[in-house]
Amino acid sequence: MTLQGIGASDGIGLGKVLPVRPASLDYSAVVSGGPETERSRLTAAIQRFTETTTAMAESLRADVGEKESEILTGQVVMLSDPFMQSQMTDCIDGGQCAEAAVDQVCSSFMAMFAGVDDEMMRQRATDIGDIRSRMLSILLGREATDLSRLPENTVLVVHDLTPSMTVGMDRQHVAAIVTEVGGRTSHSAILARAMEVPAVLSVANVVDTLAEGQDIIVDGTAGVVLTEFDETTRQQYEAKRAEYLHQRELLNVYRDRPTVDADGNHYGLYANIGSAAEAQAAADAGAEGIGLFRTEFLFMDRTAAPTEEEQYEAYAAVAKTMAGKEVIIRTLDVGGDKAVDYLEMEPEENPFLGHRAIRYCLDRADLFRVQLRALLRAGAVGKNIKIMLPLVTSVEEIRKAKALLEECKTELQAEGKAFDAEISVGIMIETPAAAWIADLLALECDFFSIGTNDLTQYTMAVDRGNAKVAGLYDTLHPAVLRSIRSVIAAAKAAKIPVGMCGEAAADPRLTPLLLTWGLDEFSVSASSVLATRAQIHRWHRNDAEIVTEHAMDCATAAAVAERLSQ
Amino acid sequence: MVSAQVKIINPQGMHMRPAQLFVTKMSAFPCDVTIVFKGTAINAKSIMHLMAACMKQGSEIEVQCNGEQEEAALAAAVELIESGLGDC
Repeated sequence: MTLQGIGASDGIGLGKVLPVRPASLDYSAVVSGGPETERSRLTAAIQRFTETTTAMAESLRADVGEKESEILTGQVVMLSDPFMQSQMTDCIDGGQCAEAAVDQVCSSFMAMFAGVDDEMMRQRATDIGDIRSRMLSILLGREATDLSRLPENTVLVVHDLTPSMTVGMDRQHVAAIVTEVGGRTSHSAILARAMEVPAVLSVANVVDTLAEGQDIIVDGTAGVVLTEFDETTRQQYEAKRAEYLHQRELLNVYRDRPTVDADGNHYGLYANIGSAAEAQAAADAGAEGIGLFRTEFLFMDRTAAPTEEEQYEAYAAVAKTMAGKEVIIRTLDVGGDKAVDYLEMEPEENPFLGHRAIRYCLDRADLFRVQLRALLRAGAVGKNIKIMLPLVTSVEEIRKAKALLEECKTELQAEGKAFDAEISVGIMIETPAAAWIADLLALECDFFSIGTNDLTQYTMAVDRGNAKVAGLYDTLHPAVLRSIRSVIAAAKAAKIPVGMCGEAAADPRLTPLLLTWGLDEFSVSASSVLATRAQIHRWHRNDAEIVTEHAMDCATAAAVAERLSQ
Repeated sequence: MVSAQVKIINPQGMHMRPAQLFVTKMSAFPCDVTIVFKGTAINAKSIMHLMAACMKQGSEIEVQCNGEQEEAALAAAVELIESGLGDC
């Protein structure tokens, strides 16, 4: 049988299922041993909670990041509240066992936090829920399954992979991870990728349907889990796994190498990320900077826009993680396919041609200012942040955005807050209009980044989601290639750096063209960094120039593709 | 008992870190410290109560101190809140 899920971490794992169920926290059989005994049990449990949680936080800080670790240190602070503790001892003095005291007091605080009108505060309810379960498991002596010593080729099957589970996990022996919840940008996905363990997420009820010790195959690239298979299939997957590992090994050679072509010319190789947590994974993958930080994910799945402080923290965290390396942050790109409920964007007939990205932000100066202020302040942390405006079609848009930015600087100055007064402002080139006036736009901004996904869609006037016309969507179409060539040339003429942050940057067929035209920086997903570096290493400038000339002589996308595949 | 009206000025409001700082400073005083916000009295030495009250930037609150060293406690509380609770 094949179970479909979300492929969240590449690779293939074959092994035996280890279902990890949360320990039962049922304490109905526990009888109070009297107030004295229960009080000292409570004190001992709090002490153990504090010790283990602090240790987990330290280990997480080293392995994953500051932010993840702060979740845990925050829990220690909350449980140390003397008034929370005195409520617990009151319950104990009333004749209850320590378990009941913890359960009742935590539940009442959870209810209190769940009802408040502040998104960030509501998340505290989840923390208190965590405190409750970990305190109960300590009191009941049923601490979570020990994952520090696992048999070889273990496939962990869990409801959700949490940061605390990964602490001290015997990673060498984890063949794969399967979870019941989570998507590609969830915490569990980021953790799995950071550990380089294949993972398939969001497979419903998998913890109960798979038996312990059962042999399964997990294909983290395709997002499938095979629970029943014959010997031939097993061998096929063994071979696929070997091939994947072999490729990864080959690419690993490039991890600490500079990004140079065969003639020794240097290029920038950056990563695209969608959250602050992914920055570390990008750095680990060998990225030399962040070429695109999509800030819209900060705005999604919540009920109100993130505050300046929240945004500042996210941007500053990336700036710190990437210390000394450039971090290009794209301002809010919503609209079209990316609707956000609380922003109350009106439904549009043609959202992709509508009120989105920079157009929306310029009309919502209230929102835009908050983001610009947060970016300016975060710029002071490492002087490595650059601002990038999406979907620009005119010079006026850059001027308006920069005027707002100047106002924000004046405000911050008056408030005595630290900010980067010299922050660079660049634009995404992703519309035909921008491509045609690239020479004029270059006079108004500090850098370009070519967004090939939208540039292709808008140049070809094609909706990728419409199966009848999706075939027309092709970055190798001569119209798109000519646009890219002229944008790079305009940037060169104006002496500003030009990068590319669409999928085409990682397309090996385009590498010789981009090298020939003089692209300064390639920004790709973290998982494509090494493969892209390997591609760039292959090319001598002379060869690349010949290939480019041939490709640009072709009249159709198909002919270009054929040329470039040779 | 002594009391004073103050306004929360830090952008984050009474979130984890500001609340933690406030509780630590207030716990050094033997007197009771209470914050009255929207008609509710909150124990200012309890981080859980402080956070659950959802005091935000711009919230007007009253700090009341009652008992030993109440004057010093109030002065410290007002200074801390007016300086932005370590969050500016």
